[in-house]
Amino acid sequence: MALTAIKANKSRGVLTTLGIVIGILAVVTTMTAANGLGNNFRESISALGSDVLYVSKRPWIITGNFLSFRNRKNLDLKEVEKLEQRLTSAKAINPSTNTNKNVKYRSKTLEGTTIIGTTDKQLMVSSSVPGDGRFLTPFDVQFKRNVCVIGSEIKDLLFGDVNPINKKMKIGRHNYRVVGVMEKQGSAGFFGGPNFDKQIFIPISAFAKSFGSRNRDLNIAVKAAPHISLSDFEFEVIGEMRKIRKLKPAEEDDFSINQMNQLVGAYNSVMGVIVSIGLVITGISLFVGGIGVMNIMFVSVTERTREIGIRKAIGAKRRSILSQFLFESSIICLIGGLIGLLLSIGATALISKLVMPASLSLPIVSVAILVSVATGVLSGFIPALKAAKLNPIDALRYE
Amino acid sequence: MALEIQNVSKTYMMGTEAVHALQSVSLSIEENEYIAIMGPSGSGKSTMMNVLGCLDTPTSGEYYLEGEDVSKMNDDQLAEIRNQKIGFVFQTFNLIPRATVFHNVELPLVYSGTPPAERILMANDAIERVGLTDRATHKPTELSGGQRQRAAIARALVNKPTIILADEPTGNLDSVTGREIMAILDGLHKAGNTIILVTHEQEIAEHAHRIVKLRDGQVESDVRPNRVGRNADVVLN
Repeated sequence: MALTAIKANKSRGVLTTLGIVIGILAVVTTMTAANGLGNNFRESISALGSDVLYVSKRPWIITGNFLSFRNRKNLDLKEVEKLEQRLTSAKAINPSTNTNKNVKYRSKTLEGTTIIGTTDKQLMVSSSVPGDGRFLTPFDVQFKRNVCVIGSEIKDLLFGDVNPINKKMKIGRHNYRVVGVMEKQGSAGFFGGPNFDKQIFIPISAFAKSFGSRNRDLNIAVKAAPHISLSDFEFEVIGEMRKIRKLKPAEEDDFSINQMNQLVGAYNSVMGVIVSIGLVITGISLFVGGIGVMNIMFVSVTERTREIGIRKAIGAKRRSILSQFLFESSIICLIGGLIGLLLSIGATALISKLVMPASLSLPIVSVAILVSVATGVLSGFIPALKAAKLNPIDALRYE
Repeated sequence: MALEIQNVSKTYMMGTEAVHALQSVSLSIEENEYIAIMGPSGSGKSTMMNVLGCLDTPTSGEYYLEGEDVSKMNDDQLAEIRNQKIGFVFQTFNLIPRATVFHNVELPLVYSGTPPAERILMANDAIERVGLTDRATHKPTELSGGQRQRAAIARALVNKPTIILADEPTGNLDSVTGREIMAILDGLHKAGNTIILVTHEQEIAEHAHRIVKLRDGQVESDVRPNRVGRNADVVLN
């Protein structure tokens, strides 16, 4: 019955449905994009490792006074050594430092490339592995050899089709020999964060020799042993660092412990706000679509006043009339929602192709269907109530 | 006693003016009675039919339908009474234009909650009684006036009500078709239904066994022309 009523006014139905189609399309695409961004972000920071703590001078995410962190003492190799001796539940400890240098192969130059001085243990604290050649060895570190392992993007930009292994390149003014290429990390460089594919690893000893070690701040990555919880481990690391730094009980830490979860938390709070704003804005378009449906339902109720009168005369109760019109508005919105979903499959494919990997997930699909039916019920309710409350005599007399 | 109204008044507000459409009317109708309600326009005829048909409740007075007091019932209770006990036949047929004859006839059964299998049997049965079986899948717009009124009668019959309330049932029909429709109503009376006929045509009213005339919201005369020989049994209120 509802379907024949909708069919009876085709062009009107199409226009009304269009509002819902656009609303659902906007909401679904926003949710899909937000999902895609989240997945990309998690993928891009997964190289940091979830069971690794980073001891640094400053926290990654600074809130409050930046200057108070600047005056902290740099971390140095002696502290790394002491930490290594004292920590009982660490699986690996890896110091690293970094700088930006221009790198050059033949006539090609890459400016401001991130150079990381590290050790062979880098592989234990990170999920990235060399895809070609090898990583740094203890031997490289011990003998301060000028060798480097380059990120996949460096290889593409600097070497192109040339096999970079054993090629000499310039880092700053110093010659380094490429011994390995890291496997591609995927969509990194998210929101100006570190691009793990655009880094060059060199032995930390060679780093000190080439670029100096004075006033160099270290990052110390400490990986927890498998049996220990990260919070217990963090407690131990803080305790040992305080002993190394000889801090009195009343003094605050003059170092920071960082971990991947902090980035996730910061991301979630920022993206939470962005996504909420996006959903509010797209929700408004759905709301406008709902108003369109409400409008058309009012018209429909008025046009069919006589029919409502007939139905009431032969025994329809308020509830029957109410549900008849609610069903009708829900069907309009459900059809609109399904068309909107179909279109957002296209939109998702477009995003995947042009911007970033994204996919329409089952929860989003079910939310979209629920939301479209709910829109139908909500926007149909007042017109349906008006119909249900019509007086049968007046309705029968209506021309 | 099929139905009985006592001192029923109905007052409408037309703008700021109160219109007394019915003024303390009392009337009782026996089971299987064939009664016509007549009167010029403004006599309270329509109001009377609305009250008797449970489409409207009186401002004051009592209305007992098969022993039940319906004058104080709410919307939904009245809908149930209309669905179960009264079959309506209107001057303008009042069929739903988009639905087929079958669906129109089936509709009261939908509202009474009859199971679908039973609905099909009962609806087809009612359509057969008015001789419209070959038109069951047609829409009202594809039917002649007489056929539409037959469909409406089938719809009125389908829930097996005791009372058939016909409001100017031949008003929109030519005289030949009108006679056919009246023959169906006469048949229903013979089959045991109580028939209440609202009309302003003397010729139509004469099908009934009792004629109540209204004027200015009051019963003017109440006669049973066919009951006791030639001398009309006149009951004046």
